[in-house]
Amino acid sequence: MHDFIEISPLKLLEMSSRKELGRGKLGVLMARAGVGKTACLINIAFDKLFRGEKLVHISLEDTPEKVTSYYNVIFYDLVKALNMKNETENKMLFDRNRMILAYMNKSFEIRRLKENLKTLVDKIEFLPDSLIVDGLDFENAGRDIFEGFKELASDFNVEIWFSALSHRHITDVNERGIPYPCNRMDDLLNIIIQLQPTQSGVFLKLIKDHDSPVMPDASVRLDPNTFLVIN
Amino acid sequence: MSEEIQYIRNIGISAHIDSGKTTLTERILYYTKRIFAVHEVKGKDGVGATMDSMELERERGITISSAATYCEWNNHTINIIDTPGHVDFTIEVERALRVLDSSILVLCAVGGVQSQTITVDRQMNRYKVPRIAFINKCDRAGANPRRVAEQLRTRLNHNAVLMQLPIGLEGDLTGVVDLVSMKAIYFEGPYGEELRSDEIPDYLLDDAKAAREYLLDAASMFSDKLMEAVLEENVSAGLIHDAVRRGTISRELTPVFLGAAYKNIGVQPILDAVTLYLPSPMDVENVALDLGNDGKEITLTSEPAAPLVALAFKLEVTPYGQLTYLRIYQGSIKKGDDLVNTRDRKKIKVGRLARMHADKMEEISMARAGDIVTLFGVDCFSGDTFTDGSLRYAMTSIFVPEPVISLSVSPKDNQSEIKMAKAIHRFVREDPTFRSYVDHESGENIISGMGELHLEIYVERMKREFGAEVETGMPQVSYREAISGKAEFNYIHKKQTGGAGQYGRVAGFMEPSEEGVYEFIDSIKGGAIPTEYIPAIDKGFKSCLKKGRLIGFPVLGMKITINDGQFHAVDSSELAFTHAAVGAFNQAYFKAKPIILEPIMKVSVESPSEFQGNVMASINQRRGIIVSSAEDGVFTAVDSEVPLAEMFGYATTLRSLTQGKAEFTMEFSRYQKVPESIAEKLKETLVDRSKGGKK
Repeated sequence: MHDFIEISPLKLLEMSSRKELGRGKLGVLMARAGVGKTACLINIAFDKLFRGEKLVHISLEDTPEKVTSYYNVIFYDLVKALNMKNETENKMLFDRNRMILAYMNKSFEIRRLKENLKTLVDKIEFLPDSLIVDGLDFENAGRDIFEGFKELASDFNVEIWFSALSHRHITDVNERGIPYPCNRMDDLLNIIIQLQPTQSGVFLKLIKDHDSPVMPDASVRLDPNTFLVIN
Repeated sequence: MSEEIQYIRNIGISAHIDSGKTTLTERILYYTKRIFAVHEVKGKDGVGATMDSMELERERGITISSAATYCEWNNHTINIIDTPGHVDFTIEVERALRVLDSSILVLCAVGGVQSQTITVDRQMNRYKVPRIAFINKCDRAGANPRRVAEQLRTRLNHNAVLMQLPIGLEGDLTGVVDLVSMKAIYFEGPYGEELRSDEIPDYLLDDAKAAREYLLDAASMFSDKLMEAVLEENVSAGLIHDAVRRGTISRELTPVFLGAAYKNIGVQPILDAVTLYLPSPMDVENVALDLGNDGKEITLTSEPAAPLVALAFKLEVTPYGQLTYLRIYQGSIKKGDDLVNTRDRKKIKVGRLARMHADKMEEISMARAGDIVTLFGVDCFSGDTFTDGSLRYAMTSIFVPEPVISLSVSPKDNQSEIKMAKAIHRFVREDPTFRSYVDHESGENIISGMGELHLEIYVERMKREFGAEVETGMPQVSYREAISGKAEFNYIHKKQTGGAGQYGRVAGFMEPSEEGVYEFIDSIKGGAIPTEYIPAIDKGFKSCLKKGRLIGFPVLGMKITINDGQFHAVDSSELAFTHAAVGAFNQAYFKAKPIILEPIMKVSVESPSEFQGNVMASINQRRGIIVSSAEDGVFTAVDSEVPLAEMFGYATTLRSLTQGKAEFTMEFSRYQKVPESIAEKLKETLVDRSKGGKK
């Protein structure tokens, strides 16, 4: 079986100063609509699962059924890509180590998420290592939301990955070179990566690297179908 | 009554438990003048709703058997099947959906899309049933029909379009705004039977205009004429009806209606919608399998003069005798006709023909394609197809899930024994998910079904309807066995002392089957075993799967390959090779590392969000895996997978943990390996039991 870590999109972080996002920290995957944000975010989740870690997937738009089917589709793609032998055992382990919390019809609040995570830890001893947050509206979310997530990351000792929607027609960039929509709260974010479709392929590029300057050409090329790294 | 097929509607009413299906049906029957007084589901008047005809249903306030009834509205005949809301009776829902052309999906304005709604909706998708939605209970505290319509879009992927807006909500609900006529409708008179049309209240006018615009946008996707009329600002009600009907029948649009059946608000517009938007039998394609032509699919025609094809979809014992509910797909039936059952080619004569109205009946002399009728005293199983004898058609078989739970039942005295046997014989014919057998080791009668409540209801029915006094054992999970490794066998069956001899040698190997099915592969070369004995070997192995050697439960499947053997010119026989296969199975089975599998249930619990922690803890304590938790407003739905063995008595636990505010549904998901520590205990208990030390 091939090693997932070698083809994981997070291989990009080997080019970062700390080689990882790290607990208590926030990371963002940016992309335009239709580029493959959710698929790539779920590959990030699989990176954690393949390392034997536990994660909570927080969906602010899709139902749990839809999220589960995303994971299933990508899992079976990985079975093929990695020539996976122990598929049933892996599937069962990943399903056990993944929890989905969905907040439908704008019912999301940081306070509720905090209570729900506490329930997971206290009542069923599910201690996550990472949170994956999909569907957060970066354009309209206030700074207080990100401060809340930062606090949560520290309280629960987890790293948090978000997906953020960018637009072709909004080219705003702040003085630190961080593009819209992360340019208003980049001081709270530790890692920012961006999916960039080009004529020569899809690239994942490092935009922010903790407090260090980003290495020139810090990017990896992804397979446009699987969003896995092409070596 | 109209005899024209385009004026027939065969509809179901499906929903989550307690969304008010039976109350809605009751009101429909009242307004269509089929009944002359309304009763409640748990009637204070001691009568109970008309559709809940079984005594037990009235007592528990749930609908178990789907009683069929019919009514007339706007010159249309509407056949209604009221379907049970509890997941244990899903087969009833599946059967109803098989014979219906369309359905009303009832939702609660407070609870919205709930777990059972999702199950029922999935079933409707499987049978391609077009539907309209009715958001009921808009008079309840916390009612939010717009949120429910949004859930229809996001959770069920429906292109849901509001056809009405509520006038007032909760206790202030007084009527609805009809977005087609742009009029307010109020329901007056003691039972809301007098409809008064009025201008839309000023405060709702802007909302109504916006909602109508949304409706026109959605509907015009199905009609160019409507689209043109919208552009020319010349929209007529007829154009909207036509477009909505097209969208509904193609299942690309779900019109949504609102009301409170209990308060007599919004029921008549739903009846109008049934006639306007739902398909007649002519609009639906039905397919049969031609058994005379390798099961080739044949599209049926609703032409009354064509040869008859009808499906028996429900059997029922009533004070009138045994009733068989029949849906006619093609041709017609008259009193005195001869029908042929496709399954056994037996001929029956149509003595009496009737339409049922819950437990009352109305005799008729003829019925045609599209109709739902009943026959009397016909000997058949539910799911049988009848023709006029000129065809060998079978309607596609209805998907029947395997039972997951069993219970021993023993009669208290001799009289009860006879009555119990009669009851079981009846139930097995009525319900394919209800099974029965005698355990030869313990001599007990075992009944099995889809859940605790399912079996509980049948035990109650034995007592009440058949007067059989019975005692029941503890519910028993239907475990399975499977092998987890590969093992070889090489077995000689030899009996050559006195009389006719027996000889057969079988060699090969057994290995797990990935799909959980039995597979037999013949790799014999050079005629080591003559071809004529191969089926006997297959039969021998197959017979061993019925009862595994580990704990005595069926073996879920395996792959058997035979690659060598030996025969004797005189002493070999089919019987000898069947015995050899049994011996080979026994020789290899334990070497192939058998394991115990248990049924894992998909459990969904819905509760006010404040109880989410308690719910999760209760699942965790039951070896359950929580898959997800979804918050929507003040409700949270927790989805999980829990072994069935841990679910006994869960209803009581959940009630006490959540002050009775939570409810759960459960359905079979898959078989999964039992953890080692539990497997050891199971082996001890079940092996003890089979040795006679019954626990």
